[in-house]
Amino acid sequence: MTVAEILASLQSSGLANRIRDSLYLFPLIESTHVIGLTTVFGTIAIIDLRLLGLASTRRPFSRIASDVLKWTWAAFALAAVTGLLMFITNAGVYYHNFYFRTKMALLLLAGINTLLFELTAGRSIHRWDKENAAPLAGKAIAALSLVLWITIIFMGRWIGFTTTRAQFQSEPDIDIENLLPK
Amino acid sequence: MIQFTDWLSRTSLSLAIQTHEWVIPTIQSIHIVGIGIVLVSVFMIVLRILGLAGRDQSLVEITDRFGPWLFSALYVMLATGTLMVIGEPARELLAFSFWLKMSLVVLATIIAGIFGSSVRKDEAYWESSIVKSLSTKSLALFTLLIWIAIVILGRLIAYDHVWGSWSHAPKA
Repeated sequence: MTVAEILASLQSSGLANRIRDSLYLFPLIESTHVIGLTTVFGTIAIIDLRLLGLASTRRPFSRIASDVLKWTWAAFALAAVTGLLMFITNAGVYYHNFYFRTKMALLLLAGINTLLFELTAGRSIHRWDKENAAPLAGKAIAALSLVLWITIIFMGRWIGFTTTRAQFQSEPDIDIENLLPK
Repeated sequence: MIQFTDWLSRTSLSLAIQTHEWVIPTIQSIHIVGIGIVLVSVFMIVLRILGLAGRDQSLVEITDRFGPWLFSALYVMLATGTLMVIGEPARELLAFSFWLKMSLVVLATIIAGIFGSSVRKDEAYWESSIVKSLSTKSLALFTLLIWIAIVILGRLIAYDHVWGSWSHAPKA
């Protein structure tokens, strides 16, 4: 199966058709995606600001991590599932969209960044758990993480703007003169 | 309201926002970053009240940690939200989702304000009994649900037709 065939079969699947045909499903899936991604970003920001020594500095890092990270993962799962559901409704367009591709690449980088944390500062948490901030490697990873996630949010919003417009252009019967209800 | 949106859409600031394609997505992205801060700040305080996180911290400690972030982010939301209304007046001001959202924002902000001042005033009483009562826990959970509803309604402004005849927003 080629990529084009996979995209086509996703797009013509029963699930994709159901979402497309419904007035409510796509908006609700997208709203749930926003709930998921904002929770991912907010909880990661708590961790990153703690690593940088900018917030929650009086609490041990490990305690914050155990309070917060399970919600990050749950929210990430929610964002991933809803993201996939949106993707299949218009797989061909999303797949070739520049902002979608950039967002996926940045998500991969954010994953590698987390892995780097586990391999560096994450190994010696017991040594700096109660310090104001993580060692330099941890701080650098936290700063990069904040930049990555904020950029991911921006890319996500741009996917919406660039793909929706592509659909609207093919819609011939919009009456621009009478958009406002009389 | 239609006359007002018409007037607003002809102001120079609105025209400036409309003519630069990157402005609206940029403002919306900043707005979403703000949502992350607001939602998770409320979430952490609610988790503490429910006893699901931060149990080593007092209520005042957790409120001091997240309250200022919550309110600072709310100012960012107000600023970016206002720019969105100026940039696309009809899309926002004629939308049912918008007005329902604004009503809930006022309600949720009042609850947050009252909670913040009350917990500081009666710290010991909150710590010893109020926080343990079922009605406090229910109200905390209810507050979180209001904020979640606000986020959903915010996104639904773009799909206001889901409300059928309640919506007066122009089709996108």
